[in-house]
Amino acid sequence: MAEAVILIEDLPIKDPNSKAKLITISGQLDESNVDMKAKDIYKVFEEIPGKLYLVFDFAGLDYMNSRSIGYLTDWYGKLTEKGGKIFIARTKPNIKDILQVVGLTQLIQTFDTLDAAKQAVMQESSAAAATPAPTLAIPAQTPVATPAQVPAVTQTTQVQAQPAPATPAQTQVPVAPTPQPGQPVSQTPATPPVQTTAPTSQPETYKLNA
Amino acid sequence: MEQPIKITITLPTNAYFVSGIRDFTLALIKNTTKFAEKWAYRMQSVVDELCNNAIEYGSAENAEIKVVLIHKQDEYIEILVEDTGTGKNKTTAAEIQKLYDEKRKEGYKFVGIRGRGLAKIVGEWTDQLEFKDLSNGGLQVRVRKYLKDPRYKSGLPESTPTHLVLNI
Repeated sequence: MAEAVILIEDLPIKDPNSKAKLITISGQLDESNVDMKAKDIYKVFEEIPGKLYLVFDFAGLDYMNSRSIGYLTDWYGKLTEKGGKIFIARTKPNIKDILQVVGLTQLIQTFDTLDAAKQAVMQESSAAAATPAPTLAIPAQTPVATPAQVPAVTQTTQVQAQPAPATPAQTQVPVAPTPQPGQPVSQTPATPPVQTTAPTSQPETYKLNA
Repeated sequence: MEQPIKITITLPTNAYFVSGIRDFTLALIKNTTKFAEKWAYRMQSVVDELCNNAIEYGSAENAEIKVVLIHKQDEYIEILVEDTGTGKNKTTAAEIQKLYDEKRKEGYKFVGIRGRGLAKIVGEWTDQLEFKDLSNGGLQVRVRKYLKDPRYKSGLPESTPTHLVLNI
C-alpha cells in the first residue's frame, strides 16, 4: 500500500469569523489509501462548520490519482459554498501537471512557495474581515405593509416540490475547460503569480533585429 | 527491424499492488525509452487509472488483472489492461465507450469524487484508446502514446535554445 501522511495545523488569520488550516500531505495518495486519508480532512469540516481557508502544502506529495482530485474538488465545493477558499503550495511538476489536465488549476490558486500561499490567505481573510457583515435589520424609513394593505390573493400558484439538495459528495463544481498545452491560463489571481506554465511547444529561438 | 519489448504482469485484484506497477512503469519509461520525463509520469498515471478501473469494476476480489506494457523503440508505448469480467460492476466495451464519449464532450460536468480518470487523464494523455470485449467475458483497454507521430502531441523532450537567428 502506498504511504501518505497528512498533518493539519492552525494558521493565524485576522478575520475573527473564519478559520484557516495548513494541511501538509506527503507520500502518495492513491486508490489504496485516499478514502481513509480524506476522512482527516472531512473531520476539519465537521469541526469548523463556518468559513474556512485551507492551504495545502504538496512539497512532499509524489503522486495523486483521479480520486484524490475528486476529493479536492469536493473540498473546493464545500469551502466556496461558505465563502472559504483553497490554496495549493509547492506542487511537484507531475502533481501540477495532473491538476492542470483536469482543469483544477483554473479553479484553485497554486503557489510556488508556502509563504506566498500563506500571504494569499492573509490577504483574503483580511479583506473579508474589512467587509461589514450583511445586516438583516429593516431600516426605520422602510414602509411596512399592514395586513389591510395587502391585496387579496386571487390566484393560487401551484409550486412544484423542489428536489432535495445534493449530497456533499455530489456537489456540482464548475469544471473549467482543460487547458491546452501552451495555452496561457486565463486566471489572474490577486496575489503573486500562480501559474508559471510557460508555453512549451513553441520553438525557442532568439531573433536579433540588427 | 527491432521487435517491440513486451512485459506482462498479472496482479491480484487489490489496489494494494498497483503502486508497484506505477513505480515499474515510471522506471521503465524513464530508463529505456526516449520519452520525456513528463511523459513517464503521465503514463504512470494512465496505468494507475486503468488498473484501478479494472479492479473496481471488472475483476472479482479473488480474481486478477493483467497489465501488458509494450515499447516499440523510437515509436510508441502501448499499455493493455485486462480484467476477467467477474467483477460486480463489469461493463462491456460498448457501454464503457459510450460513457467515455459522453464524458469527453465539451462542457461535461463531472459530479462527485469519481469518474475523472478515464476521460480526463487517460483520454488526455494518450493518442489512441480502444475498448475490446474478451472471449472470457472480460474487458481489455488498450492505449498507445506515440513518441513523435506528427498527428499527436510529441512525447520527446522539449528542445532547449541552442542557437541565435540573426535577422539582418
